[in-house]
Amino acid sequence: MTAKKLFLFCMFLVCEFIFAQHDTISLREVLVSDAQLKNFSNTQSVTVLNDSVIAKNAASLTTLLNYNSTLYFKENGLGMVSSPSFRGTTAQQTAVIWNGININSQLNGLTDFNTIPVSGFDNVTVRGGGGSSIYGSSAIGGSIHLNNELEFGNGFSNALHLNFGSFNTFSAAYNLKASNTNTSVQAGLSRNSSENDYQYLGTSDKRNENGQFYNTSVNAAFGYRINSHHYLKLYSQLFEGERHFSGTLAARSKSKYRDVNTRNLIEWFATSGKWTSRTRTAFLSEQYQYFENAKTQNFESAKAETFIAKYDLNYILHPKVTANFVIDYTQTKGFGEQIGKKNRSIGAVTFLMKHQITRRIGYEIHVKKEVTDNYESPILSSIGTYFHASKNYTVLFNASKNFRIPTFNDLYWQGLGNSDLNPESSYQLEVGQQFRYRKWFLSATAFYMDIRDMIQWNPDDTDGNFRPDNIAAVSSYGAELLLTYEKKIGNHRANIRSNYAYVISEDGETHRQLIYVPMHKANVNLAYYYQKFSFDYQFLFNGYVFTPSKKYNIVSEYFVSNVGIGYDLGNKYTCKIGVRVLNLWNEVYQSVLQRPMPGRNYSMCLTLKM
Amino acid sequence: MMKFIKLVVAALGSALFFASCSPENDEPTKYVPLEKYDSGVLVLNQGLFGQGDATISYISADLSKFENDIFSLANPNVIMGDTGQDIAFYGQFAYIVMNGSNKIEIVNRYTLKSVGTVDEGFSNPRYMAIYNGKGYVTNWGAGNNPSDDYVAVIDLATASVTSAIPVAEGPERIIENAGKLYVAQTGGFSFGNQISVINTATNAVSTITVGDVPNALQIKDGYLWVSYGGKPNYASAETAGGLVQINLNTNAVAHAYAYPDVTKHVSNLVIEGASAYYTVDSGIYKFDLSANALPATPLFTTTSQGVYGVYSFAIKLGRFYVGDAGDYENSGKVHVYSFGSSGESAGTLVNSYTVGVIPAGLYFNL
Repeated sequence: MTAKKLFLFCMFLVCEFIFAQHDTISLREVLVSDAQLKNFSNTQSVTVLNDSVIAKNAASLTTLLNYNSTLYFKENGLGMVSSPSFRGTTAQQTAVIWNGININSQLNGLTDFNTIPVSGFDNVTVRGGGGSSIYGSSAIGGSIHLNNELEFGNGFSNALHLNFGSFNTFSAAYNLKASNTNTSVQAGLSRNSSENDYQYLGTSDKRNENGQFYNTSVNAAFGYRINSHHYLKLYSQLFEGERHFSGTLAARSKSKYRDVNTRNLIEWFATSGKWTSRTRTAFLSEQYQYFENAKTQNFESAKAETFIAKYDLNYILHPKVTANFVIDYTQTKGFGEQIGKKNRSIGAVTFLMKHQITRRIGYEIHVKKEVTDNYESPILSSIGTYFHASKNYTVLFNASKNFRIPTFNDLYWQGLGNSDLNPESSYQLEVGQQFRYRKWFLSATAFYMDIRDMIQWNPDDTDGNFRPDNIAAVSSYGAELLLTYEKKIGNHRANIRSNYAYVISEDGETHRQLIYVPMHKANVNLAYYYQKFSFDYQFLFNGYVFTPSKKYNIVSEYFVSNVGIGYDLGNKYTCKIGVRVLNLWNEVYQSVLQRPMPGRNYSMCLTLKM
Repeated sequence: MMKFIKLVVAALGSALFFASCSPENDEPTKYVPLEKYDSGVLVLNQGLFGQGDATISYISADLSKFENDIFSLANPNVIMGDTGQDIAFYGQFAYIVMNGSNKIEIVNRYTLKSVGTVDEGFSNPRYMAIYNGKGYVTNWGAGNNPSDDYVAVIDLATASVTSAIPVAEGPERIIENAGKLYVAQTGGFSFGNQISVINTATNAVSTITVGDVPNALQIKDGYLWVSYGGKPNYASAETAGGLVQINLNTNAVAHAYAYPDVTKHVSNLVIEGASAYYTVDSGIYKFDLSANALPATPLFTTTSQGVYGVYSFAIKLGRFYVGDAGDYENSGKVHVYSFGSSGESAGTLVNSYTVGVIPAGLYFNL
């Protein structure tokens, strides 16, 4: 009730304001943060989720991608640890790239998608398939790109998004952008919190105990045009969160987890005719504290600090041929009770080239070699072509060799780590077809992947303790479909966006589907707009998955739907209010064994844009 | 438009070229459970940590009847829990200690029907002893805190934890004798080398130093026998296992027997008659209680059953019972061997049973 009152108060207070003047400058210029994503991803499936899609989906990257991509998520209950599987690979084989920098944890190798608030990014891009030669370790199944694009000469705008939901869930995000011809500033602040004490459907009295969480993040980006050839760019992000880890139907939990991540990147961008150079340095830090009993002050912790220096030179040899040379150095320091104090330095040289042979056909080649003392590093490469057969039909082909390096935990965990581990390697092929017809777009991609030396923690036959080794081999194949459609008649607008993935991911020895990889996953988003009114329906289907348990072998498939309506009360500026019903049909489901997800629940949102 | 549809169909065809398959979903024939689980052994299968899939199997004393997952058969709507650790019997009840769930499930020991749950007062519970209407459960506490370990005291009449007796890090097996509790301080998340002695009248705790990582306790004729494993090969310095004999009147070590070879890690001590039996890797060793040194060679080995290391071990009903955890992920096995009395040779395989994941304990419900 208090939430509702507060909501109404805000709504009426803010909507009546008359906002400051909105100046318009026509000469807009956008500086991209991830040059390789833009320039050297022409032969693979790339899907961009823009800010309007981002805004519709709740605070975390899990929800955004679960409903808008083929990625499958294994979520330990709402808001808890969430790890993806992309094309049948493991969570550690999906790279998360922040403004061109790989931010997967150096400690455990993965990104928890519930610790990435999506507010504050201009777009989130999903790039399927291998990308190790550009983004380094982990880009095996694919990569997720979080980008801030700095705009010049686009005046001032800001937006506030508030959301109140069931289980005392609250989220707020404020973002501003200001730019003139020489300076561009972006700043964002977001806060999410929830009691998260939903009832377990199908039980008489069980609730999601000890599942409360909060997180705060700050984003900033700054661009300065020194002159027409030189620019300075700065990107910064801070995330701080505390989550209590909820229990399972079989075991209650008392634990909590705190983490703080910082990311800072500075770039000097110089361009002169055919030459473009980017000199980047980045500093990333991650640290966590794990409290087995949240009531005590006793915790286990670890920290990793990464320093990256990168020089990137791009040269247009010919109007149809571009070459790109990148040299980079990464140093990581890890500290923790379980890993001690360890250092790792990696140097790498990358060469990228694209050639447009004719108007319809072209190819790309990427080659990368790393040098480090820690492991044997293979030569990574990728070759791809595109063929625009007609204005309606394009074919893409890509083959690549990718890898994932062992993490600090894999190498150094006290008593269990294995310092002789080598990187995982994978070979993959994909063929994509894209069809365009009026406002229809269909993309169908078939892929095959062979992963070797996969690092797996398995129980040791001698004592049953889990230890990592380069033992597993996996082959994955399947297909992904994306269908989009838009229609506009007078004041009526509608669009459809739908994904489907079919994935077989087999253990090379047992020929069984890997655990927590569904063979089928589909989602559908329908949106309808009439003047200031909007309606949308989201649907998610996840096929059954196998679990490691012999007794409970399967987590059943589930269908979840969300529905939302919104109305824009503003005249000159956006002042949109909305209501969403999540899990509309009250589906009883689990994403992970013994961890029930919430039943039907509600949220109200308010978006102001000035 | 037609051309477009053809293109779409062709694309779908080529992208979805790979055949789909679905899981085998055969309807099982109606199974009638045994429902009575007396006169036999309950095998506690730990399950996989975090999966909440511990189970209990039953093997009848005459070896003719066998059933898996009997807790679920008796209680279809109760989840037994995560990581089954120990079972203690008291009267008509069985107390099942669930390490991962931090609880004890109480069942009727003969029907396995659920009676209740104790789910407050535990932190990483391990093993349970019963004395004078009270249950004593060892608890490791939080993994990174060496000083929060204790023995929880349960009032069995009210099925609730009434107090906690602090002990050193990693209290494991617990046994009662004449009002005193003897607790093997395995070390939990590190390596211990003591036995804690708790006077149940005063809850006063004293200690006896034995070898590294004491893992099993037996009482025989006024003596406490302890098997200790030594530190494993992944410790900074591996140490050998052995046996220690303690005089229960004085709580002093009477004899200590150690292997010279640091790779010999002794566990699963059982005293039967005038001999001690224990295991090292896949071998079953026999030690005459009056002998001067530990035997170098096993009585028999379980290697022909593919056992890499004996996980659980018992001697009862004139047989050896060996729990084999296999790869620690899939179903384990229980092998039954002849004891070797009445002229037959010891260690002849009598029968094998495929049980649940990680058979951690064998409890005779006789």
